[in-house]
Order: sequence, then structure tokens, then C-alpha cells
Amino acid sequence: MAGSVLAPNPAPAAAPTPAPGKSRLGRALSDRRTRFGLLNATPVVVYLLILFVYPIFSTLMLSLKGEGGGFTFHWYTDAFQGANLEILLTTLRISAETSLLALVIGFVLASAISRLKPLWAGLAMLVVVVPHFISALVRTYGWIILLGDNGVVNNVLTDIHFPGAPFQLLYNEIGVVIGTTAVMLPYTVLLLYAVMKGIDRRLLAAAAGMGAGRITIFRRVYLPLVAPGLVNAGILSFILCLGYYLTPALMGGEKQTMVASLIDEQVMKQNQWNGASALGIILLLLTFAGLLLLKLLQSAGEALRNRGTAS
Amino acid sequence: MIELRSTLAGRITLAVLSTLILLFLALPIVVIVVTSFGKDAFGSFPPEAWTLGWYEQLFADGSKWPAALSLSALVAAMTTVFSLILGLTAATALVRSELPLRSAVYGLVLAPLVIPQVVVALGLFLLFEPAAMLGSPVAIALGHTVLASPIAVMILMATLKGIDERLEDAAASMGAGRLTVWRRVTLPLAMPGLVAAGIFSFITSFDEFFISQFLSSVDTVTLPVQVFNVLQYNVDPSVTAVSAILIAVAVVALALVGVVRKLSGSGKQDGLLPTEPGLGLPVGSETAS
Repeated sequence: MAGSVLAPNPAPAAAPTPAPGKSRLGRALSDRRTRFGLLNATPVVVYLLILFVYPIFSTLMLSLKGEGGGFTFHWYTDAFQGANLEILLTTLRISAETSLLALVIGFVLASAISRLKPLWAGLAMLVVVVPHFISALVRTYGWIILLGDNGVVNNVLTDIHFPGAPFQLLYNEIGVVIGTTAVMLPYTVLLLYAVMKGIDRRLLAAAAGMGAGRITIFRRVYLPLVAPGLVNAGILSFILCLGYYLTPALMGGEKQTMVASLIDEQVMKQNQWNGASALGIILLLLTFAGLLLLKLLQSAGEALRNRGTAS
Repeated sequence: MIELRSTLAGRITLAVLSTLILLFLALPIVVIVVTSFGKDAFGSFPPEAWTLGWYEQLFADGSKWPAALSLSALVAAMTTVFSLILGLTAATALVRSELPLRSAVYGLVLAPLVIPQVVVALGLFLLFEPAAMLGSPVAIALGHTVLASPIAVMILMATLKGIDERLEDAAASMGAGRLTVWRRVTLPLAMPGLVAAGIFSFITSFDEFFISQFLSSVDTVTLPVQVFNVLQYNVDPSVTAVSAILIAVAVVALALVGVVRKLSGSGKQDGLLPTEPGLGLPVGSETAS
């Protein structure tokens, strides 16, 4: 794809391999619906090649460029050393904590909503969806007000004489994970709800009819049916967390610096573009790895199910 | 529907837990709106005295907020236009015509939804900096469109799928030209989807932070960047009022989508809400069924 980045016309990129497919391409182009499709796809493809693919490509090039101008892996080895490595590991840890928490909370909420009557389910979904479209920055600010030393949460806890209150809830990992989880939660709830809504509840009733207890039904019937959704939601929120910036930057302390903050700092304060680019590419590769894992798990699940129906 | 027997205690636990989770989602928003009317913008909650002072302060002399607000509105308007054009053509190509390498194009279109925004922002900076376009509203809008257009494409694809193609065929068989069919049949039927796609593009841009942060200059700062700067470095209690305004914009926009959806007839047309963010991705779409 990189080769076609500079091509003014995306048609070559969108066409099948030219050598043996020459006649096929010719035939395709003679079809009116194909020509119409290519014509309509052109704006978005050209746009994304110039403003999405090419910028990422130039980030990649910059990350491989040495101070003198030659080729180097220096910025990558640099990223895996000392403080930078620590920040990378922190990013992975916070992303894992957040996506796990969002997954558990999302599972509880989604399964509760999926059993509600339509009216109540609709209202509950509104509470999930509306915050999702409100600026994450604003919601983070809300958490800062809530979790401060004199914030609502601590005031309530102190009033009820909760042991140990008030707690330090801001500028540490607790704060970051609470704030980030709140941002990721709508994703997990929506993804899990879609899967749970699609489950045929008669399967559960059938299992009960066969004498299975509630725990067995949950473990042997419900959970396997929800599993693809859990994988999907877990990996997706993990990926989205990796590059997340706002909440950790505002609610974290020094030990909660994540890669996006590091990139921001390298660019804005240190003018260190090569290092920042390398970190960006590492984030990108981690994202691809996550998507690949998702794909593999999905096809494994698919194969498992097919074998189940075949036998 | 056959409900499973579940114990009363189990049901109550689930109800309490899910109410707490819903509170967890709603509370930060409620707190901001309430605090923005409170006399002590950082302190006690609920406030002891009420005021509109923070809102007045926004437009006081020397305030940076009006400039940031108008820049954000301008950028969001441009983003809306760009992503509607891209969205409508792309959705037409993906739904209404033959397209070689269709899934590759679809994947490319949706990719910006999962690629870390910081990477996109970094790359866009590298693109616009040599062109001396930093701080230009057009550049910021072009950047926002990368994030807004996938959402527009998703909504408009669902819209086009919901339109009965036979209506277009009927019009064509009555002698209408392709352009007339599109203008008189397809476009009016797609209007609810276009409005929804436009509104979501607008909110996406209005709330976008990272790309704006990288593409703005000292003098041109969008509202979210200004909010972030205040939260990080300064102390300006009127930021609660700005945040409340941002909340209001999003709520009004979502309500508008709801109204359009009602007017367009009993929600028969799917996809006015991109309620499953990221779900349409080539990697994990068909798991639900």
C-alpha cells in the first residue's frame, strides 16, 4: 500500500494484480456498476491515502531516521530502555487493568439490561450511550471534581465514617483506572449487550429443563455463548486504552505516565520527533497485534463451533 | 419469553449493582452541570449558593473562550461538510455498486477508529507543518474528518441498505435519469441518515482533542484544547461553565438525532446511531449472530 501513497489516482491501488488480471480488469471496468463504484470510492480512498496512510507512513520513515540522516533503529532501542520502557510497561498495565475492570462491570450491566423490559432497557441504554457522546475531557473533569480530597466521594465516605476515609483518589493509579474505565465502559456494554440480546434464551430454559443448576447453566451455556463478545470487548477496549491520553494525563501522577503522554511531551517540550515517531509506531504495532489476536481467536472460536455442529 | 428462575436475592443484587454502574456513568456529568451553577466552582457539593457568574465570566473582556468556541464551531461545521461528502460517496460505493477490493476499501475507511489517535495526530502534524498550515481551521477540520468520516460512512451505509432499491428502479423505469433518481428519490429517503451522520460528525469534531492539540497554533486553539490547558496549568473556574456547555451541545445533538429518527418513521431505518462503535470493523463484526 505504501507504494501507491504518492499515486494521484487510487485506481491502480484498487485494482487486482495487473499482469494476469489485465483482461479481468478490463472486463470489470466495462461494467457500469463497477465504474460507478470506483468513481464513488475515489474521494474517500484518495482522502485517506493523503491524510491517514501517508502521514502514518511518514511517521514510520521519521522513526527510522538517524540524527545525521541515515537509517537507524536507535529510536526503537531507545524506546525499550530505562524510563521509556517503564512507561511502555505502565501503559500495558493500566490498559490491562482498565479493560478487565470495564469488561467485568460491562458484563454485569449488559446482562442486567438484556433482561429488562424494552422501556427500561431503552432508558438504561440511554444512560450508557449519552455519556459516550459527551467529551471524554469533560467527563474526566467531572471525575476530578468527584474524587478530589474534598470531593463528593470522600465527603460521603467521611460522613458515613467509612474506615480510612478520606482516600487519596486522584493523581494515582486508582484515579486513572476509575476515569479510564468510565470512558471505556460504554464500548464494552454496547458490544456485550449486542451479543447477549442475540442469545436464544430458550437454550437456557432447555438446560434448566434437563436439570442443570443455575451455576452450571451460567458456566456451560451462557458463558460460552457470550465468550466471543467478551473477547471482542476486552481486546477492543485494551487497544483503545493503549493510545489513550486525556484521563491519565489529567488524573494520573508521575508513575501513571502513558505512552501518549510521553509522545506529547517529546514533541511539544523536547522537539524530539524521531523518538516520538518510534513510540507512535510501537503503539501502532501493539494495536495491530491486538487486532490480529482478536482475529485469530475469532476464527478459532468459529472452527470450534463448526466442529461442534458437524459432529 | 421464558425467563429463568432466579432467586429474589440474586435479582436484587443485580439491580443494585447495575444502578450503581449507571450512576458511575452519569455522575461525572451531573456533577459538572450542577457545579457550573454553584458559587464555589471547586468546592462543596452540592453547592451552598447558586450563581450564573461562571457563564458571565466566559464572555468577559479578555476571555479566550469566545474565540475558542467560534473556532471549534467553524472547524466542526467544515468537518461535517467534508465527512458528509466522503461518507455519502463511500457508502454509495460500498452498498450500491460493484467495487473491486471492497473489503480492503471498507477496512481502510474504518481503520481510523482503532488506530491510536496520537499516531494520526503525529502524522498529520508532519504533513501540515511543512505546508505552514498549523493553526489553520481548514487543516484542523481536514484532520478531524479522518475520525469523523468512518462514523458517517457507517451510518450512511446502514441508511442506504434500508432504502428499498426498487423505488429507485421504479423511478428509473418511469424515465427518470440517474441524476434525477438520485436527487428526487434516493436523497430525500436518505435525509434522516444524512442529518444523523452530519450531527455525529459535528460532535466528533467539536469534542476532538488530540488532533486539535497537534494542529493548533498559539493563537488558534479549539475549545477542548483550551479546556485541557486550563485543567492542566491554570485555575479558571469558568471551565465548569464551558464543560457544561459542551455537555449541552452533545445532549442537544443526540436529542436532534432522536427527533429525526422519530420523524423518519418508527425507527424502521437502522443505523442512525452508531451505537456499536468499532463493531463494524472487518475484525469482529459478525460475532453477534
